[in-house]
Amino acid sequence: MGPLVVYEVISQNTNLLLAFFIGIGFGFVLEANGFSSSRRLAGMFYGYDTTVLKVFFTAAIVGSVGLLFMSLFNWIDLSYIYINPTYLWSTLGGGVIMGAGFILGGYCPGTSFCAASIGKIDALAFIGGMFIGILVFAEGYPLWEGFYNAQFMGAPLLNEMLGASRGMLTLLIILVALGMFWIGEWAEKRFSRDDYKLNQ
Amino acid sequence: MKARLVLASVIIPLGLIIAAVPENTTKPYKLTAEQLLDEVKSGTQFIGPEEVADMVISKDPSLQLIDVRSAAEYEKFSLPNSINIPLVDILNSEWEGYINQDIKLNVFYSNGTNEANQAWMISRQLGYANNYVLQGGLNYWVETIMNPEAPENGSPNEEILKYNLRKGAGMALGSEASEAAQPVAAPGGAKPPVQKRETKKRVQGGC
Repeated sequence: MGPLVVYEVISQNTNLLLAFFIGIGFGFVLEANGFSSSRRLAGMFYGYDTTVLKVFFTAAIVGSVGLLFMSLFNWIDLSYIYINPTYLWSTLGGGVIMGAGFILGGYCPGTSFCAASIGKIDALAFIGGMFIGILVFAEGYPLWEGFYNAQFMGAPLLNEMLGASRGMLTLLIILVALGMFWIGEWAEKRFSRDDYKLNQ
Repeated sequence: MKARLVLASVIIPLGLIIAAVPENTTKPYKLTAEQLLDEVKSGTQFIGPEEVADMVISKDPSLQLIDVRSAAEYEKFSLPNSINIPLVDILNSEWEGYINQDIKLNVFYSNGTNEANQAWMISRQLGYANNYVLQGGLNYWVETIMNPEAPENGSPNEEILKYNLRKGAGMALGSEASEAAQPVAAPGGAKPPVQKRETKKRVQGGC
């Protein structure tokens, strides 16, 4: 609720209350779509269920098209949108660790809480592991501080690196995403598993 | 399968539209802190007293002098045809039409440059253009335009020209000094006696 807080339309406390309800809504939608199932999430890696890919890329392309249209109509100033700064090596390292944990545990951090809230024991174990990881990272910070801050690139934008306009890049991503959806559904048939049930 | 077709038939046309239209390049409403700092560093907001005096004398209709001092100070002394918008009232909506416009050249002035600069910064942060600050403020104005210091004998011609210009401006604006302007040494005339060249470096005005 960025602009509403910045311009003091709503207070910090109201902001937190709104975040609470939005969080509940987000969790509800995740759970309703089977994202609390570790089999569905791990299926992305094995190819028998590519819902994760489809949902997140649909969100990305709808979001980017929506933002560009809102910018076109002068409803939003894109320069105010926060872009995560890129530290190349820690991004790559973090991606590998996160991906490995995703395959091993069958959850990502958000979905593990979602699954724990409907009573899944493996999700509780996953959350425990996550806290151990946080502890190890924080306590051992001096050891990986150099790696963590290496190769700082600011907030680079893909379209600027490619020299294309934002709209052109968005169109490209839309086409790539739809192509991946097609491959994903092909993979779902190719690697289908007879014993696969969403919640078992 | 079907959902994918529905998604594709909606999102591909939208993507084509957004790829075809030019990017929204409207300037953001507010400057970032870095942009403002850049403008302050390069001093683009300043306009020299000679330039302002010239516009005042020629009754340039595009000039709007704005006194940002208090009303009492404005009553005591003000530049010709200036209006008074005390700094504390600068955000008052009744003045907005004066500050947010693109026809006139607004020049803020105060005794020094502090208050005028503050007024300029506020107006700039609001995204308004055409607002400037009188370099050196009224103090420097009085020093250069109303009571210009006569250059020493044998000063370079441009110094004397500058002095004459200031002198003329001061007289046109009603300063008491009534000395005749110094004659410019005619080229090829008798050489003035050799003297120490000690031209006083002034703050660069926009002359």
